Amino acid sequence: MVLSRFPHGLALAAASMAECATPPRAVRDMSPPAMSDPDPSEDREAVDTDLLQRIAQGDRDAFAQLYDRFSGPLYGTALRIVREPAEAQDVVHDAFITLWEKAATFESTRGSAFSWAITLVRNRAIDRVRMRRRRAELLADSAPDDLGLAAMSGPASGADAAISGDEARAVRAAVATLPAEQQKALELAFFGGLTQEEIARKLSEPLGTVKARIRRGLIKLRDALARSA
Amino acid sequence: MIDERREENTALYAFDLLEGQERTRFEADLDGDPRLRALAANFRNTAAFLAYTAPATPPPAELRARLLASVAPRAQTQTAAPAPAATVIRPDPSVFGRFAPWAVAAGLAVAATWLGQRYLSVQSEARILRDQQAMADVALKGLGQQLEAERIVMRRQLEELGKSSGSASAQLQEAKAAAAALSAQLAERDRLVADARAETGSLRGQLAKRDADLAQLSQRIVALTRDTALATRELNDARDRIARLLADMKSERDLANFKITMLASLVKDSPQANAVAVWDPAKQEGILQVEKLPALAANQDYQLWVVDPQYPIPVDAGVFTVDPASGAARFDFKARQPVAAVAAFAVSLERKGGVPKAEGPMMLLGK
Repeated sequence: MVLSRFPHGLALAAASMAECATPPRAVRDMSPPAMSDPDPSEDREAVDTDLLQRIAQGDRDAFAQLYDRFSGPLYGTALRIVREPAEAQDVVHDAFITLWEKAATFESTRGSAFSWAITLVRNRAIDRVRMRRRRAELLADSAPDDLGLAAMSGPASGADAAISGDEARAVRAAVATLPAEQQKALELAFFGGLTQEEIARKLSEPLGTVKARIRRGLIKLRDALARSA
Repeated sequence: MIDERREENTALYAFDLLEGQERTRFEADLDGDPRLRALAANFRNTAAFLAYTAPATPPPAELRARLLASVAPRAQTQTAAPAPAATVIRPDPSVFGRFAPWAVAAGLAVAATWLGQRYLSVQSEARILRDQQAMADVALKGLGQQLEAERIVMRRQLEELGKSSGSASAQLQEAKAAAAALSAQLAERDRLVADARAETGSLRGQLAKRDADLAQLSQRIVALTRDTALATRELNDARDRIARLLADMKSERDLANFKITMLASLVKDSPQANAVAVWDPAKQEGILQVEKLPALAANQDYQLWVVDPQYPIPVDAGVFTVDPASGAARFDFKARQPVAAVAAFAVSLERKGGVPKAEGPMMLLGK
């Protein structure tokens, strides 16, 4: 089962949805094994939280374990945003150092440990992209037409062959169920390092439409992930 | 209640797309609403999964080593730093003489271990410092480039400003000429407006007169309408009266054609029995009013006959019964065959339901 291989599984999303949406009930009803077994995603989330608590006390082994669990998707995200391996490494390095230093401040009610780590990586990567873009704008006296986002066309890209791992496949399958315009909006929101207005300009759509697409896309993705869990 | 707008802001927040006041306001909202906080956490967790859609390039092994080296000092200062203090050997005076050389050797070994650890620690600190210095160099280089770029932009802007000031005075002259032309146009417009005002005044006067005429005409129309209504009512009344008169005249004319016949008793036992028959030849129907006829047995009916010379036998006009007490009846009848002229009416006593040709005793007769 895909779920069991997830370091911070999809069922976590489903379980945390219980207070906000109806699908999780249905999801549990549809998957009897999950009812009899203890929820593995909760275990994984508990493991992540426990590792962070140990890291807060200076436990280097816990830090190494957390790195092994998170570094793949974190590095992939950083690389896709900054598009420079050396810079992506700096970003991930910086984010993990922050995890090490700020582990004590982690609040599980604000989101999972994984989403916190992703936020740290994205913020740093986006800062770098924006700084780079500002520099480019000053030199060229105009904004570049393409920030290299066209190459990130998602599931159709040549990098597909290199993708392994059930988790990536499951998430990609869930993303593929969204309408193309919602996929694009989420992709730009997550990897683009753009503001709302910049996304709207990039897509040549009114701002309101873009906001609605991001909302609907995110909800649809959540439901699709819950179904696949 | 989380409406669509708040849900939208929560989604944008999950992607860190809310900025400035929008973000501040949303976070204040978040603080006061546990349901919204739960939704925000849920959206953040969902958004985080998008990380898996990035190409799965594993980070270089060197990064892991570098990171673990970076975090080592804190872990070691907390766990390993007290070790040297704990392993300091306190000399025992009683065994000092015997074990002194061993103690010295052990002390040296511990000191060597501690120094070794210190060396490793200092080395990794130096590595971190080197990393930090490299990053600082990169940042410095970036800032230098940025400053250079800003200098280029400023210079370009200055050149633009120099060019634009020359053309400004020519533009001023043009603007003055345009302003003069505009004021002339304005004066012309004023004159036109004054003319238009005067014309409007005279038109207004005419309009007022027309309004007054119109009001008078309206009053006359109202009066005429009232008169017309009265006249129509009178006309209708007259028409009704004429219709009634015509109807009266017609009924009088019809009445003249009616055949009215008195029927007298032919029965010795009931000499008072009598009847009146009224016949309308136009409608071929009539009314028979009888009185004091003897009561009927259950199997009997009285039958009326119309005697018309054109037929060999009297024409059947139907059966009737009488009130047993008074022997009276009113009987609306029609003849079974067309009647051209009535010679006489006769009533006979027949069996129940009547007969085609009179069989029973004749009770009444009138010519």
